[in-house]
Amino acid sequence: MVNLHVNSRNVDLDIKPHRTLADVLRTEMGLIGVRVSCSEGECGSCTVLVDGRPCTSCLMLVNQGEGKSIVTIEGIGTPDDLDPVQEAFIEEQGFQCAFCTPGFILTAKAFLAENPNPTHDEVSVAMSGNICRCGAYPYIVRSVMRAAAKLREFA
Amino acid sequence: MRSEFQYRRPASIDEAVAMKADLGTTAMYWAGGTDMVLHWMRSIHSPELCIDITRIEGLRGIEIDRDSIRIGAMTSLDELDRSADRHCLLNTLSDITKLMCTPQTRTIATVGGNLCNASPAADLSPAFVAMNADAVLAGPKGRRRVRMEEFFLGVNKTSLSGGELLEEIRIPLNPDLKVVASYRRIDRTVVDIALVNASSCISVDSDGVINGCGIALGAVAPVILRVSDAETLLLGLSVRELGRDREELQKVEELSAIAAKPISDVRASAEYRRQMVKVMVRRTLQDCAIQLKA
Repeated sequence: MVNLHVNSRNVDLDIKPHRTLADVLRTEMGLIGVRVSCSEGECGSCTVLVDGRPCTSCLMLVNQGEGKSIVTIEGIGTPDDLDPVQEAFIEEQGFQCAFCTPGFILTAKAFLAENPNPTHDEVSVAMSGNICRCGAYPYIVRSVMRAAAKLREFA
Repeated sequence: MRSEFQYRRPASIDEAVAMKADLGTTAMYWAGGTDMVLHWMRSIHSPELCIDITRIEGLRGIEIDRDSIRIGAMTSLDELDRSADRHCLLNTLSDITKLMCTPQTRTIATVGGNLCNASPAADLSPAFVAMNADAVLAGPKGRRRVRMEEFFLGVNKTSLSGGELLEEIRIPLNPDLKVVASYRRIDRTVVDIALVNASSCISVDSDGVINGCGIALGAVAPVILRVSDAETLLLGLSVRELGRDREELQKVEELSAIAAKPISDVRASAEYRRQMVKVMVRRTLQDCAIQLKA
């Protein structure tokens, strides 16, 4: 039995331990916003927040998530009540196919919590662990800059 | 077919060591797992028990006292990155972490895991060797200290034996000396490993005379190489000479290139690597000179 705290919800899962966190979030909990692409920790598609920090969930064992607060893209906003970072990505069209977008948004969210007023270069470095195969990078950087401005307004 | 395994999370070093002693080779210590998950998926390792040591308090944290810096083996690369302002050597190590994997993998990956994976191209290893660090190993027979350059025995091979785990890294400090370090590598882009790397660590006394020197090379042999004969040449020189084109510096470069035993592979030729060893060593020494002037 594994107990996880995901998106403000506690769940007990009757599963074997030799599973990755990404796999369990997707297949046992239906949180398919957790995208698995490279399965090697290089592309950042599977990024989730663990105690507020971005983590490649494809490299974590599910048990390593126990006792921690896990947040996926499903946990930060709803279609009627989007997170400011999600709004900014839509407004700046920071995606094309959008497969990688949940990972980018979660990475951006953790980054902006620490650096609310970043430069373009700082955003590029902070996003360097997320790969966009469509190559929407200029739009993504603009989205994160816009999100930063929105969050500063809220603060 | 990847193995099925049980999972345990011991609360102390002793408990972890006892678990490993009970089950032997079928049990594996598991740190951040960023290498281990891949090894397990590719069936390079097929554990029956995973001993997750990441939450053992005694393996965590960075402490600085008069005589040493202690880095717990389960310190994440992200935590090491955030320790930059606590000591100038930690600042160098912090810069190195920024070259490693990706931000969201650095939150999981640990210093100890990186060292125990024993890649000849690992980024932190040459720096720890140049800094004269010791590895503290804990096992069923107690603790022992191993010099960092003796910790690495080959590609993915360390001197850990008989159920030992890596507890911490100790970097010695001399309160009477000023110490700086630098690391350089040749790579293509981010998320890359080094084609060649080198690290230097220089200590000077209050007159600016070099009193201690460490030079280490990576990715040019199965293990991290320490170039002791080159180090000796720099002892007694004034730090002001480090940036200049002195005979000793050329000799240091040559001795480093001679010490290197690189291979040719898909990533670079042995000739290229050997040449670049000279460049990397020179740049790390220049970096040290600049830091010492500041």
